[in-house]
Amino acid sequence: MRTTLAILNKQCKDSLNNLPSLMIMIIYPAVAFIMVTALGSQDGIDGPMSSMFISMFATMHCAFVPITIASTVISEEKEKGTLRSLIMSGVGRVNYLISISLFIIVAVMLTGCTFLLMDKFTQQEICEFIITMLCGTVISTLLGLCIGINAKNVAAASGTAMPVGLVLALLPMLAQFNDAIAKVSKFTYSGQISLVLEGGRAVTAEMLEVCGAYAVIFAVLLTLIFRKKGLE
Amino acid sequence: MSAIKLENVTRAFGEKQVLKGISLDISEGEIFGLLGPSGAGKTTIINILTGQLSCGGRAEIFGTDCGRIGRKVYREIGAVLDNCGLYERLTCMDNMKLFAGIHNVPFGQIGGILEKVGLTGSEKIKAGKMSKGMKQRLQLARAILHQPKLLFLDEPTSGLDPSTAAEIHTLMQELQKNGTTIFLTTHNMDEAYRMCDRIALLNEGNIAECGNPAEICRKHCSVSEFNIITSDEEKLSIPNIPESAGQIAELIRSGKIKAIHSAEPDLGTVFLKLTGKELAQ
Repeated sequence: MRTTLAILNKQCKDSLNNLPSLMIMIIYPAVAFIMVTALGSQDGIDGPMSSMFISMFATMHCAFVPITIASTVISEEKEKGTLRSLIMSGVGRVNYLISISLFIIVAVMLTGCTFLLMDKFTQQEICEFIITMLCGTVISTLLGLCIGINAKNVAAASGTAMPVGLVLALLPMLAQFNDAIAKVSKFTYSGQISLVLEGGRAVTAEMLEVCGAYAVIFAVLLTLIFRKKGLE
Repeated sequence: MSAIKLENVTRAFGEKQVLKGISLDISEGEIFGLLGPSGAGKTTIINILTGQLSCGGRAEIFGTDCGRIGRKVYREIGAVLDNCGLYERLTCMDNMKLFAGIHNVPFGQIGGILEKVGLTGSEKIKAGKMSKGMKQRLQLARAILHQPKLLFLDEPTSGLDPSTAAEIHTLMQELQKNGTTIFLTTHNMDEAYRMCDRIALLNEGNIAECGNPAEICRKHCSVSEFNIITSDEEKLSIPNIPESAGQIAELIRSGKIKAIHSAEPDLGTVFLKLTGKELAQ
C-alpha cells in the first residue's frame, strides 16, 4: 500500500510536469467543450449536435488516452532506467503495473467526467456514462500496458500506440458515415461504447459482452507479454 | 557471512562469452573494486548480482541466490548504476520522497542525507536541470537513503571534477565505517588503489589478479630499486640490494635526500603487464 501510494504520488507530479501528457489528457474534453459551445444548439443527425459531440469525444477520450499514456509511461521508465531503480528498491513488478494502471484510470475518468458538465444528464444517465467510460478506460489501459511492456523505448511504443489508438478512437466516428465501417466498428469495444453513449446512454448487454471479451483478450495478452518480457 | 559470493560464474551474450568462470568472495564491510577496461564484463557482474541477469555457476548476496532476489534483499542494497535513472521532471526532493516512501524512511531524514552528499539548497531543482555531478550525488543520496548493507557503485566518479570525486570518496569511507559493504567498478586505478581494501583485475571475462592493491603492485614489482631525488635535483636509481645500504646511509648522513621512493608499478602498469592492455581503454 505504501509503495502504491508513493508511485501514485510520483506519477501525479510527473504527469503535471509533462506538458504533452497533460495535453493528451485534456484535449478531447477541451475540443468537445469548444464544439458544444459553438455548435451544440444546432440539430444533428439524431438530435442536438451537443449530444453527438459529447459521445464522439468521450469515446475518443476513453479509447485513445489510456493507450498512449500507459504505453508512454512504461516505455519511458524502461528507457530512462527509472523502472530499474524502482525494482531495485524492492518495488514488485505487478505492484508497479497496478499503481500505474490505477493512476491512468483515475486520471482519465476524472478528466472524462468533465463531459458531464457540457450537457444535461439524469442521474441514471450519469451512472451509465461513468460505467461505459470506465469499461473503455480499463480495456484501453490493458492494451496500453501490453504495448508499453512490449516496446523497447518510447519511440517504439508511440509507433504502435498512436495508430492503434487512432483506429480505435476514430472508427466509431467514421461508422456514423459509412455502413461498412459501422459493421466492423460494432465488434470493437470503442464502437460499442460509442453506440451506448450515442443511443440514449443505456448500457446494453451487447456492449458488456464485447467489452468483456476484449478485457479478457487483453488481460491474457498482457500476462503472456509480461511473462515473456518482464519489465526489463 | 560473505556479502557477495561468486562461484564459477559464466555468462554469454549470443556467441560471445563475456564471463568465463568468475569466483569472488567479498566480506561484509569491505570496499571491493572491480577494475577492467570497457567491455571487460564489470557491468555484467553487477547486473547478475542485482538479479537483472541470469548466469551459469552460483552468485549470492547475503546467502541468497541472485536469481531469486526478493523484496527483502533489495531493501538491503543500494545502487548507483549508469542505467538507473532519475525522474528528470521531478525535483531533487520529490525524487528523494518517492524512494523514502518506498523504503518507509521518514521525510525528515531526507535533509540530512542531502547535506551528506552536498545537495543542501538544491531541493527544488528538477533533476533534469542538474549538472552531471549533482545528478551523481542525487543518485548516491537515493542509494544510501535507507542505510543499505551493500552498495553497488558503477563508476561513480566517472566524468566528475576532482573535488566532487573526492567528496564521494570521503562519503564512501564514512559508509564503510558504518559497516556498509561497497562493490565498486571503475577503470580509475588511482581511485581503486586509494579506496579499496581489495581489488580484482578483470580481463576478457577472467580475473587476472585479485587482492590488496598495494600487495598486487608489490607482487608484480620486477624492478627492485629505490628512486632518490637529491637536494641538487639529481635523480638516482639505487638497486635494492644489501650492497646499496652504505650508499643510502651516506646520502642520509649528508642530508642530501630530498625524496625517496620505492619503484613498484602502479595498477595500470600491473594490468598492462598481465593482459597486454591499457586499463583505461
